[in-house]
Amino acid sequence: MTGRLDERTVEISLPNKIGYERIAMESSASFARIVGFASERIEDLKTAVAEACLNAMEHGNRGRPDARVILTMDFKDDTLTVFVKDEGDGISRLPDHTAIGQKIENLKAPEGLGTYLIKQLMDHVEFNEMTKEGHAVKMVMKLK
Amino acid sequence: MEQENEIRLEQIGVVTLFEIKGDVTAASEPFLKEGYKNATDRGTEKILLKFEEKAYINSGGIALLIQLLAETKKNNQQIGITGLSDHFKKIFTMVGITKFARIYDTRDEALEGMSEES
Repeated sequence: MTGRLDERTVEISLPNKIGYERIAMESSASFARIVGFASERIEDLKTAVAEACLNAMEHGNRGRPDARVILTMDFKDDTLTVFVKDEGDGISRLPDHTAIGQKIENLKAPEGLGTYLIKQLMDHVEFNEMTKEGHAVKMVMKLK
Repeated sequence: MEQENEIRLEQIGVVTLFEIKGDVTAASEPFLKEGYKNATDRGTEKILLKFEEKAYINSGGIALLIQLLAETKKNNQQIGITGLSDHFKKIFTMVGITKFARIYDTRDEALEGMSEES
């Protein structure tokens, strides 16, 4: 987790309100554009950030209107690192991605589609990063 | 944040075109369900979903589309998709939607292709 904010770090605090993930999407896209990511990768990032924020709002913060979702981004050594932090206890059981594939195969709407997309679209993901403020998902995308 | 969709149904030959305006999220459920019910009530066998290229589609919206695909399969309806950006073409392929619905680059290509298929 980012210890302190420096000149290469951006942090945004969002209300716990579905729809506001779009602010996180657009902010992460702007940041990625500034540091030189291609448009295709920026679209991947936007989807991953949106899904992480939705999970934080719905599951981490359990829809509490007084909770916040914090988006922190930094770019160092050609690597963009994004944290999405909520006030929850983390994900007790990560969705089984094989089961998700099987459910879709049987045309049943799967749970955990958001985490599946995040893992597919980012270069590296760590769920359940616990801090004293709560839980964070760490997502990494490398400038290739 | 309130979200409104507009789904306009248009019959073009044997294909019912769903012109979907706006983003596709969990909040789209009543709009998609109503559109599908209207189309099915009029006996359509072929449905073309046309999205706006700039539309935001999230996992909640994708889950709704999977439910819609299940309904169309149960009712022996053919379904096509058009209007997607390259990013969402990739996402739809990634999650397996393309196993059940063909994605066309353009509306006209879709209408032509779906009209020819039996």
